[in-house]
Amino acid sequence: MDRAEGRGLKGMKRVLLKNITLLLFLLNALLFGVGELISPGFLSADHVTAVLRTASFLGIVSIGQTLTILTAGIDLSVGPLVTMGNVFACMFINGVDGNTLWALAAVILIGLLFGAANGLGVSVTKISPLVMTLAIGSLVTGITLIVSQGAPKGLASPSLRFIGVGSLWGRIPVIIIVWAGLSLLFVLLLRSTSFGRKVYHLGANQRAAHLSGIRVNRTLILAYALSGASATLTGALMAGYTQTAFLGIGNEYILWSITAVVIGGTSLSGGRGGYLGTVAGAILLVLIESLLTIVRMPEAGRRIATGLMILIMISVYFRSKNRKP
Amino acid sequence: MRTGQRDLRLYAPIYVIFIVIYLLSCFLEANFFTWNNNVNLFTRITPLVFASMAQTLVILTGGIDLSIGSIIGLTNVLAASLPYPESGLNVVLWFLVPALAGLALGLINGLIITGGGFSPLIVTLATGAIWKGLSLFIMPVPGGEVSLAVARTATGKLGAVPMPLLIFLAGALACHRLLTRTRFGRSIYALGGNETLAYESGIACGRVKIWVYGTAGLLAALAGMFLSARMFSGDPLAGEPYILNSIAVAVIAGTSLAGGRGGVAGIIGGAYVFLLINNILNLLAISSFYQYVAKGLILIIALAITSSGGEISPAAWMRRLLKPAGAPSGGVDGPG
Repeated sequence: MDRAEGRGLKGMKRVLLKNITLLLFLLNALLFGVGELISPGFLSADHVTAVLRTASFLGIVSIGQTLTILTAGIDLSVGPLVTMGNVFACMFINGVDGNTLWALAAVILIGLLFGAANGLGVSVTKISPLVMTLAIGSLVTGITLIVSQGAPKGLASPSLRFIGVGSLWGRIPVIIIVWAGLSLLFVLLLRSTSFGRKVYHLGANQRAAHLSGIRVNRTLILAYALSGASATLTGALMAGYTQTAFLGIGNEYILWSITAVVIGGTSLSGGRGGYLGTVAGAILLVLIESLLTIVRMPEAGRRIATGLMILIMISVYFRSKNRKP
Repeated sequence: MRTGQRDLRLYAPIYVIFIVIYLLSCFLEANFFTWNNNVNLFTRITPLVFASMAQTLVILTGGIDLSIGSIIGLTNVLAASLPYPESGLNVVLWFLVPALAGLALGLINGLIITGGGFSPLIVTLATGAIWKGLSLFIMPVPGGEVSLAVARTATGKLGAVPMPLLIFLAGALACHRLLTRTRFGRSIYALGGNETLAYESGIACGRVKIWVYGTAGLLAALAGMFLSARMFSGDPLAGEPYILNSIAVAVIAGTSLAGGRGGVAGIIGGAYVFLLINNILNLLAISSFYQYVAKGLILIIALAITSSGGEISPAAWMRRLLKPAGAPSGGVDGPG
């Protein structure tokens, strides 16, 4: 630490490589600046809040993804669960304000249940998280299709719509405040509760965690359950943004949430990382997508750029890991 | 390592399930057990068999390849964009260009993964995005053409035997022999089982891994080429369903995601089970929506069987759940 302070450019490089989150937030600021140069208005309050609004949905799904990746697992069922949350929320609410609260609670409960099923498979029957969540994802997709009969019905209520597209104090979108609140809760959960410490412990070394008396199964089940809940909650909140339900809404979130977590510096081998990096990663993903849209990059180029960015970020992250004393 | 391939307990369940589903289909629908329908099934199953074999090779080393779908898409698009006029040279080109492209893409995956020491999951996620971008660049919307001669050969008949049947049987046999009878194959099992030990016993782990991803790319390319011959055209997104389906088939065919255990002997049964689930639901006039539920349930059941070493014991699971100090994977516990 002491060596890294100061010392001009070299020292600064060290500090940045050690602190991925700081690096990412600076990169975000830089990209906002570059965007402003390319297209004036990129840095306007309207556009910045638009980027953050899009990032907030990704950010909330990524709460669960961060949690499961920290346990050295992964959750591929988040995509289908986002869709399920979206479809069920619209169906339960059906445009009536009075239904909003219980509908949100019901949707979160459903997410908890399917997430717990993931956790049960991963911990008790020791199925690999990758395929267990894949299987539950298939199940969830099927149930969503059967319940909606392939044509989702219903409508978001005015109050949910306020959460999705409304603003407080004139400028600040409600959804960003919701995201900030959930982020704060989640960071506190990870840093200041015994559950958070257990997640890090068992992610780093499950056997050691077990031997030191951590109830590995319970912790895993809770982690996956929370991941399921964050996915269905995101789907419900997105209903506030889109008004009606849409069956393909969650598809992109499987890979996007994993990408946000990984470029945020959380290690796929578990036990290392945190949510603030994921927040920066989610913003970075949306920001780059927005920049590439502004320079009229076709879809082909956008995909190539996203892929290259992941490769660059993991190699930067790898360097910082190697440099740790 | 031989036990990994020869262990019948690994493959027996999937072929039993296959036979049950196949017989059930025969009873449900008179037209099912006709030659035409079976030829149709051979044609539909071939790409899935090749994609799943590619995935199996990678999984055996303890890795995973999420870029398989994009390699299938890219080679599919390449095969449909090559010059159309029928001539000997063009046919040779049709076979060489996509296959070599697949091999090259796979080798790049392997080089990045071993060179940087990164997680295969995230590297192939990234390269998958890049390959998909390339195929969208070559062909933004489905289209293109495939030489009729090539298409007819690939999906036609050799004598009385349908070509697809020959193609996937030959492919599976070649892959099986590669895994069981060559040094390369034995190295794959060794390094999937315990990389440190394999390295210390003199296996060039890095090189083996690079070539495993290369071979997987080649197999994915064969799937993509067959798809384009079947459709007479290219589609940049043709490979998407194969990403997750190949993992699912590899796993229900008895390959452990932890690496080092499994093989390709169960793949044909696994691919058939996957395909026939849809078929049987159609025959029973059940909404196709249920196919997702059925696939999910079959996966979970198959996984529960394979991950518990062949015995299903809900009682042991309950004990593990209720035991005060959980049970980590790593074999500390012995149920009962």
